Amino acid sequence: MKIKSLLIAMMAICLTMGFTSCSDDKDDPIENNYTIYQKAVTQTVKSQKKSDKVILLVAFGSTWEQAYNAFDATVEAYKKAFPGYDVFLSFSSAICINRAAAGENVDPRNFYAPPFWLNAFAEVEYMEIVVQSLQVIPGEEYTRVINYIKDFANNANGDISDKYLSIVDLKLGVPLLQDAESDVNLVASELNKLYKDKANDGVVAFMGHGNPDSYDTYKANVRYTQLEEALQQYNKNYFVGTVDMMDNFKTDVYERMLAAGITSGKVYCHPLMSIDGDHGHNDMAGDDDDNWDGEKFTPNDEGEVEDTSWKMYFHHLGYECNNSTMIEKGLLELPTIRQVWMNHTTDAINGDPLDFYHSKNPE
Amino acid sequence: MLALCTFAAVNGQNDIWRQDSLPEVVVTGTGTQHLLKDAPVQTEVITSKMLRNYAGKSIEDILGGLTASFAFNQDDMGSQMQLNGLGNSYILILIDGKRIHGDVGGQNDLSLIDPQNIDKIEIVKGASSALYGSDAIAGVVNIITKKHREEGLLIENTTRVGSYGDVRQHNGLALNYGKFSSYTNFQLQHSDGWQNTTVEHTEGSEPPITDSRNKTVNRHTNWQIAERLTYQPIKNLELYAEGSTYWKRIYRVSGRHPHYDVKTWDMEYHNGSTSVGGKWNRSKTDYISLDVDWHRHAYYYYYTATTLVEDYEKSAGTPYYPYFPYLPDQKELQSDQQRTMAALKGVFTLPYENILSTGMEFRYDWLHAPTRVKGGKASDWTAAVYVQDEFNLIHNVNITAGLRLNQNEQFGTKLTPKVSAMWKPGNAWRLRATWSQGFKTPAIRELFYRYVRQMSGTYLYLGNTDLKPQSSNYFSLSGEYGWRGLNITATGYYNKVKDMIALVTIPNYQAPDEYIIQYDPVKTRQYQNIEDAKTYGVDVNVNYQWREFAFGLGYSYLDTDAHQYDTNHDVMRKVTIDGMAHHKGNWFATWGHRFSNDYRLGVGLYGRMSSTRYYQDDGNGKGYQTWRLSTTHDLGHFKATTWRIEAGVDNIFNYCDRTPHGLHLGTTTPGRTGYVSLTIRFNQGKKLSNKYKSNISKQQNNDED
Repeated sequence: MKIKSLLIAMMAICLTMGFTSCSDDKDDPIENNYTIYQKAVTQTVKSQKKSDKVILLVAFGSTWEQAYNAFDATVEAYKKAFPGYDVFLSFSSAICINRAAAGENVDPRNFYAPPFWLNAFAEVEYMEIVVQSLQVIPGEEYTRVINYIKDFANNANGDISDKYLSIVDLKLGVPLLQDAESDVNLVASELNKLYKDKANDGVVAFMGHGNPDSYDTYKANVRYTQLEEALQQYNKNYFVGTVDMMDNFKTDVYERMLAAGITSGKVYCHPLMSIDGDHGHNDMAGDDDDNWDGEKFTPNDEGEVEDTSWKMYFHHLGYECNNSTMIEKGLLELPTIRQVWMNHTTDAINGDPLDFYHSKNPE
Repeated sequence: MLALCTFAAVNGQNDIWRQDSLPEVVVTGTGTQHLLKDAPVQTEVITSKMLRNYAGKSIEDILGGLTASFAFNQDDMGSQMQLNGLGNSYILILIDGKRIHGDVGGQNDLSLIDPQNIDKIEIVKGASSALYGSDAIAGVVNIITKKHREEGLLIENTTRVGSYGDVRQHNGLALNYGKFSSYTNFQLQHSDGWQNTTVEHTEGSEPPITDSRNKTVNRHTNWQIAERLTYQPIKNLELYAEGSTYWKRIYRVSGRHPHYDVKTWDMEYHNGSTSVGGKWNRSKTDYISLDVDWHRHAYYYYYTATTLVEDYEKSAGTPYYPYFPYLPDQKELQSDQQRTMAALKGVFTLPYENILSTGMEFRYDWLHAPTRVKGGKASDWTAAVYVQDEFNLIHNVNITAGLRLNQNEQFGTKLTPKVSAMWKPGNAWRLRATWSQGFKTPAIRELFYRYVRQMSGTYLYLGNTDLKPQSSNYFSLSGEYGWRGLNITATGYYNKVKDMIALVTIPNYQAPDEYIIQYDPVKTRQYQNIEDAKTYGVDVNVNYQWREFAFGLGYSYLDTDAHQYDTNHDVMRKVTIDGMAHHKGNWFATWGHRFSNDYRLGVGLYGRMSSTRYYQDDGNGKGYQTWRLSTTHDLGHFKATTWRIEAGVDNIFNYCDRTPHGLHLGTTTPGRTGYVSLTIRFNQGKKLSNKYKSNISKQQNNDED
């Protein structure tokens, strides 16, 4: 009998073993994470708050050290140029935020996402908030920036006091190439000042990001074409292509070069992005030439040659294009171009407060 | 295996070498017992003797070192096991005939198997879905655990330590009293991990990284407690109940280069199982068995730093506000796979030497993956019946034919046949031929996936309930020659897999409207039956045993041809399968001698090689060759206690692949490593007259009795 009861008891233990392993696995959302996280952001703002006015620079983000240095330098330049303002920088990519904040023996860089910064600004009651987009074109990423502000202004989460929202001055600084004429012409002129020697020496091909066709918000892709036209007023050796814009891949740049009769010589490549990160180092200046079979490239359905960097593409097509013709600089690293963004910030500060209640697109 | 050896020493009269020359009995090929040399389906066995001599630290170590057909490339996502060119998704792993449960991205967690508690391993290459159902496409690996049927009380402890903080702890407690027996197993596996290089692969104008903290193999710890109770209420009927619980963590160090080596979470796994069943032995060969089991495998991110995730479910739910923060030491469930199975099987000897095996199975899968499945949860069931007959068509020609009918909730019915033939032209020769089909049921994730990701635009990933099972045709022809201590087998095979499932880009209008409105995706990808693969090759094995010496040689030639979908560029590509190597081999020479009743020495020299492993991207893995020396020392016994020491050096010539991180390695070995292990075993038994032992289990464990 004893053995039998022992047996039954042990069988019961056996059967519950598997289940007990799961008792600590409750997957309830952790309710106060937002609060704790927001507190940390607010604390960061509180500890650095010196003024009543703040500028928030918003970029997609990067995991490249060269990019961090460019962002840090930009924040410093802003602090100098806008002495009455506190300046913070925000990433919209979660992965980029996480990687920048963690790591061993590195001072964490807190590039929190825009909604958390904005809530913190409300918490410490900044009276003027200027959000400056660090995007190049007013495309998809820029619409996200607009929507962060809109959600904030509309108190989408209902956690900001209406009184504060009614008195705070909200401003939005537009992207680099917002205006099809003034911005495009100014940027073209400044780029030409920097690279006219190189344009006399060979092709200078700028590589923008661009939006895929299905995502070409506000048809902003056209800015790349407009910039190329403006640059070519100075020198026919300037070209502007992209990574993602339909009919303006590197293959299209090559077609335009051929049409212009450029079949040999140097090809300088330059990222047309705020920072020189993944795209600049890999898509532009990487060593990948998997598509090259020794004689030719095989484009995909959209006409782009995949698995091949700009450098290797033009190299195999017979141009002088190698590490020495890669200009590894993001636009924020060019003070005269950075100044165009800063001009937009000044314009925003001097302009009227934006009406976010009625339009998602304040253009 | 260690314990087994020392047990043999306890009994004294049981010489280890003679014991292993007992004919090997295998079950995996047909599900019925056969002497290895007469098995109708070609079966490769890693015997208990080989396991004891090799003293492997893990299942990866054992299969990689003692066979030529397997390849591993352990990383955070699993062992990256391959069998003749096909990956873990297409290899069915059984523990005592029951399928292992739990995978991450198709990779089974092989640490669930205690390497110290393996009796032997049987490998049947090629498709075996007629008998085993889903996943048996590249082959079946059946891990047969020790049965511990010694009378009375048995306590054993094995502690194995090695370089890089390697610890393998095993404890067993067996109680066998009369009709009742209990076996408790504890295992712990730990390694500090290692780093073969501090260099990251950078290209073109990227700044060089030479102080990366990324490890080649990360620090990891896992432990498991398992309990099995058996009860024999009447002669020839055995009932059992089992339970286990398991925990694992993979620790990832973080460095100072956000692009390369900064990480904000570890991986954690929880696994549990419960089963009950019984087996009624109607005669020496005939039986009916019933098994019901429940398994669970849960996979978590364990956050080591504050981590913002882009999560629609937990966030406010708009594409512009998709963030949810996790704090250090919090866990986020990635997937919780639960499986309930019931299997009824019978083996019957029929007139004219027919052996009929038949059975039915029911399987219910349930998945909880909060961020990856619509609504967070999904389920799927499969029912199957199968029948297999083994009969002698004419004298010396045995035919085994099987057929399985599967009924699945999603894809409906599927018939899967298998036919094997064996011809014995003489006592020394065996010729075998097989045509079989294999299939793999779409995983629940593939059926019900719904995952949203932000990468400069919203990417939407969708499952597909119209998926067909992946299926294969396998052909093989093999010859075996055995004479005295010599055994040679050569097998040629051709395996063609079609309807393989991959994520492919589809036009947005093909996605459900509600998703397009909710997520406004820039790209939509969906699982489809689109890829195919052919693998073909020759495997050769030579074994020779002479007096106290044993020699073995394995060689595997492989070629592959596949069409795979390139997700980066949305095209089908003709490719060689990632990780494929044309030539792989292994060899060993062992010698053992009993100097006295109190001391027996065993020495083994082992080698393995692989030619270049080919990959589509990120470079090929270098070919390599490594050697291992192992020694075993049985130190006799004191009263009821026996002792055994094992010590050895792996990778004697200190080969280490220092290819930068980000590129493929041929092997992840850290270079020369040493290990030493001590087994103490205590056994105090008394004979009881009312204990029934089944003939089957006696036969199955004959090298222990």
